[in-house]
Amino acid sequence: MSDNHLVENIAYQCVTKHIHMGMGDQTAIRWLAASHEQQEISYLELEILSNQIANLLRSFGIGAGDCVSVFLPRTPELITSFLGILKVQAISCVLFSTFGENALLDRLLDNSARAIITKKSLLRRIQNIQYLLPKLEKILVIDLDEHIDNHVLSLPVLLNGTPDTFEYPARLSPDTPAFLQYTSGSTGKPKGVIHVHGGISAMLDSMTEVMDIQEGELYWCTADPAWITGLVYGVIAPLTLGVDQIQYGGAFHAVQWLGILQDYSVNVWYTAPTALRMLMQEDEQVLRAYDYSQLRKIFSVGEPLNAEIYHWGKRIFTQEINDTFFQSETGTIMIANRPGIPIRPGSMGKPLSYINAYILDESGQPVPAKQQGHLCFQAGWNSMFRGYLNKAEAYGEKFRNGYYFTGDLAWQDGDGYFWYVGRADDVINTAGHLVGPFEVESALLEIDEIMDVAVIGVPDPILHEKIIAFICLPNGQEWDRGLELKCRVNISNRVSTVAIPQEFHVVEKIPKNKSGKILRRVLKAWYQGKDPGDLSTMED
Amino acid sequence: MEEIYRKLVMVFREVFDDEKIQIFSQTTSNDIEGWDSLSHMNLMIAVELAFGIEFTQREMTSFANVGELVDCIHRKMD
Repeated sequence: MSDNHLVENIAYQCVTKHIHMGMGDQTAIRWLAASHEQQEISYLELEILSNQIANLLRSFGIGAGDCVSVFLPRTPELITSFLGILKVQAISCVLFSTFGENALLDRLLDNSARAIITKKSLLRRIQNIQYLLPKLEKILVIDLDEHIDNHVLSLPVLLNGTPDTFEYPARLSPDTPAFLQYTSGSTGKPKGVIHVHGGISAMLDSMTEVMDIQEGELYWCTADPAWITGLVYGVIAPLTLGVDQIQYGGAFHAVQWLGILQDYSVNVWYTAPTALRMLMQEDEQVLRAYDYSQLRKIFSVGEPLNAEIYHWGKRIFTQEINDTFFQSETGTIMIANRPGIPIRPGSMGKPLSYINAYILDESGQPVPAKQQGHLCFQAGWNSMFRGYLNKAEAYGEKFRNGYYFTGDLAWQDGDGYFWYVGRADDVINTAGHLVGPFEVESALLEIDEIMDVAVIGVPDPILHEKIIAFICLPNGQEWDRGLELKCRVNISNRVSTVAIPQEFHVVEKIPKNKSGKILRRVLKAWYQGKDPGDLSTMED
Repeated sequence: MEEIYRKLVMVFREVFDDEKIQIFSQTTSNDIEGWDSLSHMNLMIAVELAFGIEFTQREMTSFANVGELVDCIHRKMD
């Protein structure tokens, strides 16, 4: 490939380039730990620490095309690990620290990670499944004082004495895989969405076009980097663009979050509708006790932003909340409310200047304005995913006649604004997390007392969708709080806390079609008191 | 109180699936991996079942640390 067609490695753009430009001493991240201890991390510190990680990985023979997973909560080490992995041209896969053993095993088996970077408190979950992962050679633990054995190693001990310089090619082929993001489907195992180094230009363009962050403004993206939002708009784009940003290592807590907005004079805030809806539940006196006069822009992502939150936000923060839409597969924001475009409360906004969005029917034909259809994008935008790992067929199924089918239903009004309707499949969007019903059902079926199960998502005023489990028990088995606890704990520890159903309903039978497929639409109709429609395919 | 702590640590270990968890009066959700708002409900149900007590909704969200939880359990058991 000619040099003209090469692009800069994402890690080079995030940190090394700043060093070469003499900006190493500049603060890259103002890190606020859960304990509220503050740490200013410079570009030079990120460069040195990621260089050490890169040297270490190289010493293990890890390089281009190998996968390294990062299983950490929000910590500075997560970011330096991500950058170090990219420097050796390996593929980074950041995993939610809330993942239980099943969720972890599915992903580590699929990505064949040769190493995983984690911390002591999460180690046990990996060790419990380690015997099922023959390709996992090294478990690097960031807070272990000494090595446990040849596989479970103390990262601080390894890094002590590891060189802090690292030579790597700044430029590479744009199609070089950079990172994987896992997304749940309605059936089967989660899919690893492949993103490449060449996607960075759309990451930067979208952040510039949508956020319009000015010199001297402070930015706060609340998303975990295990989410595409947190990785692209919390790490890659702000570091590359030199945005002054704060990162908070703690979980959602209304008073603490409002305190951060006030005490650090946050100007641009990127958060999620569930967090905003949870804030809406707070006493208005609590909300009004804080000063938001420095807050200039608020953006939201992950679930549709209903008009009610928009109006509430405008009243409390005296700013409009701008909805943004994208998916793990799109890599970057595709449709958004943003500066210069009047907001229609409840709408997704309009496509970015370089994005072509359409509402198409099943056959790929455009549907008239105001009519519901599949939300699609013309394929070929810069940050478009390049595949599902090990699932080429599933990738192919997402494209028809040059259009990417998002799996979301929407409609477009006569003025070009898009309006979200819901998922076209059974995936549940709860608090911005996509949960596959299959994963929850599998965890429930592991429990001896459960005979059969089906899981659906239904609308919820706070979570957007809540998870409902329908359970069949064998004769003589009673449903009680002990069994409910067993179900909740098993889902937490095997899948994730976000996958715990809000309600459990005991039923005599799960409605299935004649080939045994769960008829979720029937369960949804039952739950919502609606007509279940055609039942001719239902088994007797 | 010691008996409550002894029993409570077993509950924590079961809920968070970690045999090594230790709890103290000043322990908070920041000290235990996986103790978030969602798993907190698991913990509350498990505590209610283990001690044969019931919390009000307000109590469930009011504990600032393990010490306050233990005090509440102690009051309810009296």
